Amino acid sequence: MEKAIKRYWPVFVLPTLAAFIIGFVWPFIQGLYLSFCKFITIDKASFNGLKNYIFALTEADFLHAFWFTALFTVVSTVCINVAALAIALALTREIKGTNLFRSVYFMPNLIGGIVLGYIWNILLNCALTLMGKPLLSLHAPYGFIGLVILMCWQQIGYMMIIYIAGLQSIPNDYLEAARIDGATESQILWKVKLPNLMPSITICLFLSLTNGFKLFDQNLALTNGDPAHKTEMLALNIYQTFYGRSGPQWKGYGQAKAVLFCILVVAIGLIQLKATRSKEVQQ
Amino acid sequence: MKKVFALLLTLTLCVGLLSACGGTKTETPASSGSSGSSSAAGSVYYLNFKPEQDEAWQNLAKAYTEETGVPVTVVTAASGTYEQTLMSEIAKSTPPTLFQVNGPVGLANWKDYCLDLTGTDVLGQLTSDGFALKDGDATLGIAYVIESYGIIANKTLLAKAGYSVDDIKSFADLKKVAEDITARKDELGFAAFSSAGMDGSSDWRFKTHLANLPIYFEYQADGIGTTDAIKGTYLDNYKAIFDLYINNSTCDPAALAGKTGDDSRNEFLAGEAVFFQNGSWEYGNLVGEGKPFTDDDLQMIPIYVGAGDEAKQGLCTGTENYWCVNNSAKEEDIQATLDFMNWCVTSETGTKAMANDMGFVIPFKAAQESPNLFVKQDAAYTAEGKMPVSWNFPTMPSENWKNEVGNALTAYAAGTGSWDAVVTAFVDGWASEYAALNG
Amino acid sequence: MEKKRTLRDNILSGILGILCIAWVYPIFMILFNSLKKETSISTGSAFQLPNSESFAGLANYVNALTSKGFLSALWYSLVITISSVVLILICCSMCAWFITRVNSKVSKALYYLFVFSMVVPFQMLMFTLSATADRLHLSSPYTICIIYLGFGAGLAVFMFCGFMKSIPITIEEAAMIDGCNPIQTFFLVVLPILKPTLISVGILETMWLWNDYLLPYLVLDRTKGYMTIPILIQYFRGSFGKVEMGPMMASIMMNIIPIIIVYLLCQKHIIKGVAAGAVKG
Repeated sequence: MEKAIKRYWPVFVLPTLAAFIIGFVWPFIQGLYLSFCKFITIDKASFNGLKNYIFALTEADFLHAFWFTALFTVVSTVCINVAALAIALALTREIKGTNLFRSVYFMPNLIGGIVLGYIWNILLNCALTLMGKPLLSLHAPYGFIGLVILMCWQQIGYMMIIYIAGLQSIPNDYLEAARIDGATESQILWKVKLPNLMPSITICLFLSLTNGFKLFDQNLALTNGDPAHKTEMLALNIYQTFYGRSGPQWKGYGQAKAVLFCILVVAIGLIQLKATRSKEVQQ
Repeated sequence: MKKVFALLLTLTLCVGLLSACGGTKTETPASSGSSGSSSAAGSVYYLNFKPEQDEAWQNLAKAYTEETGVPVTVVTAASGTYEQTLMSEIAKSTPPTLFQVNGPVGLANWKDYCLDLTGTDVLGQLTSDGFALKDGDATLGIAYVIESYGIIANKTLLAKAGYSVDDIKSFADLKKVAEDITARKDELGFAAFSSAGMDGSSDWRFKTHLANLPIYFEYQADGIGTTDAIKGTYLDNYKAIFDLYINNSTCDPAALAGKTGDDSRNEFLAGEAVFFQNGSWEYGNLVGEGKPFTDDDLQMIPIYVGAGDEAKQGLCTGTENYWCVNNSAKEEDIQATLDFMNWCVTSETGTKAMANDMGFVIPFKAAQESPNLFVKQDAAYTAEGKMPVSWNFPTMPSENWKNEVGNALTAYAAGTGSWDAVVTAFVDGWASEYAALNG
Repeated sequence: MEKKRTLRDNILSGILGILCIAWVYPIFMILFNSLKKETSISTGSAFQLPNSESFAGLANYVNALTSKGFLSALWYSLVITISSVVLILICCSMCAWFITRVNSKVSKALYYLFVFSMVVPFQMLMFTLSATADRLHLSSPYTICIIYLGFGAGLAVFMFCGFMKSIPITIEEAAMIDGCNPIQTFFLVVLPILKPTLISVGILETMWLWNDYLLPYLVLDRTKGYMTIPILIQYFRGSFGKVEMGPMMASIMMNIIPIIIVYLLCQKHIIKGVAAGAVKG
């Protein structure tokens, strides 16, 4: 059978592979190459050595964007996962309105980042004005909090679904057995539910980590990096370096930053893979 | 047999894929076919900066194509994304042939892409050489619109307070009127100035347009047109006018940071404030159908800061919109673009559209009179012998500089920062940004 | 004991209910603001319901529909989403079947390459990808699906592979012995088994494609006026900071409403699909 399938490779693999080369492999290789060049258009690129990387690693805005992104990611990851897990625990108790709650909490996920950004921009600015505080785009800490709130609103529902699926897959016998042994609710939570939920927790943690690091649309629409790049995250910083500044040197810088960013995200992805793998072995 | 079948299937699939690509291919010649048939005449691709004028430009482009058969594509960049859009478009296989820069600083970034316009017809149409943007001997950009800004006054409200615009001839007058209105704010029911809008929606009114005045007077005093080290001689005047704005506005200075440009405009529209610093481009938002004002209600007065000869000070008039032609475009496209520009500023249709539909005053010989009230008032001031204040903010070192000044101003208004921080951002920031630019 | 339970659960229901209102409020807020007159919309009054003075009826919606080409943007958004999802589902499931059933170094290498592409951020490719798309004339809404197939293949192939490993190979072998060639086997035997996975992958890809902003913004050919809805919404800002808030909120609503309708109709599939997708992803 394997041989038969193998003979049909042009049918099965070729279309995807061709598109994959156009849409990923070729641009990726070109991108790697260009990160060592000074260029505005691809055919006029001149080799520039490591200058772009040196610039990227010493630029204050980029470093600030890195720390801002890292802080944002950690804070939002914690907020999202704690809240999502709490809601998931509540919703698996078979209380009234579970279905309605689940549907409503999940809904923001379907709305795109740009639209979400605008919605929250209007809402938060109104709230800030009424409190007599500066607007989102004028005060970086508010921009940061705004981003966290926005991300929570969007992502809690998603993570909640995963936690619910995880909780439902815990065999009832475990819980029954624990109850018979006289365990209290909190003991059941810490000793039975959470350990069995570890795979879901790992997935959710890494999903929110990568989502946080890659965040772009929401950042663009909510604060656009204002004031003065203070709320600019990595993805937006790269975009602004690339398209927001004119002059032949900037594209190379942007591409070098993109490569660094790529390495960072891939590293997180690899750790995730390892983490989930080791969990699988344990089970 | 199986092998043959597999081969056949592969073929159909490949054909399918190819036809998907072919779909585009047939489309491309079709779309460039219109330009292909008139390939000798080339085609025009204009990347427009002003979203408000998008429709007018589209119509004008259509009219030109009908008249001459030369295809003109107009694409408008969304607000605040012009540089990004231009950056991504210029790298494409059909880049814009006509784009714009905001002045010398913008030109420095794009000059490698700008055609030298010396000797072209359209350059000859300019009313003054001052509207050409030069780099050495080469003319790389030409201004296509002149705009004015000042303090827009609601004459009706001003009369209610017992004044007229003729009472305001200097900074001292303005201060007197504004502070009197503030003193009687509760009785009158309105304030002197509309609130600020220090976020991206209108911070340019202060960090750029208002900041132009101290720069202008310093340049005047020193007899220069640009500098890489500003001294800040007139910063006290800048402080005086900004203080006047924030202490006599519709809301508490500390609450200013919570207002947007739209809020500011709406306050003015609702008659909550007498003065509103803005420019001729606001005309369409203030006067017209569904808008509360008529031409008789409004007057734009100069922004007096208490410097120079105030009796002779006019509105701030200038441009930060310069057309540039892409020198890397095809020969025939460049020619087509130059013809199009020339047509826009000389033909009846073109000049009419620019004056009436877009509300522009264009610095070209065949310009038609614009119905824009503020533009007319600017002309009236000039006729009275007043000197328009030129736009010097294209010489500001960078966006970054403006942002730093803007942040310092916001902090100052909110009471969390000192004026010294504004001075530092203004003077030291100028020098360091210029150093970064050239270093 | 039992009674105490229900009381606690009721309190919990109450809390979650309040949270629910907080969850829907932002959308509700946009809805009633989109019904206000342009001049009545200000930063500080976004929480006020429209009154007789500020109520503008559907004027903003009419404005949004007519002024910036909303309908054409909607059409392009639909075309891009549907064509790309269909293409991704068919091509990637075929590719994934090949990868799981053929045990060779090449297929393994392919698999890892796809997985790798899944994590690479778009910023890495944005410039070179849009340049490639431009050069190959893939920059129209009708052909951008090829770009999406390439860029979106990673996730789809990865998910399909994960599910296909769990399908017993014997059914396929039986079909082959009965005289089916691999193509027949795939479409007649494998694809029907794969239906739940197809739905999950389809939903995930649809959510991504419908809301994607940067890729179409950079790739689509502006000179022909191609725009998707997320791009269009940006055009309600004027060059001097004037934002047409009314029409902008109206178009935000018109972007959200179809999503909510689809969500209400096939909620179960969506939630299941997301759960399944996440567990595998």
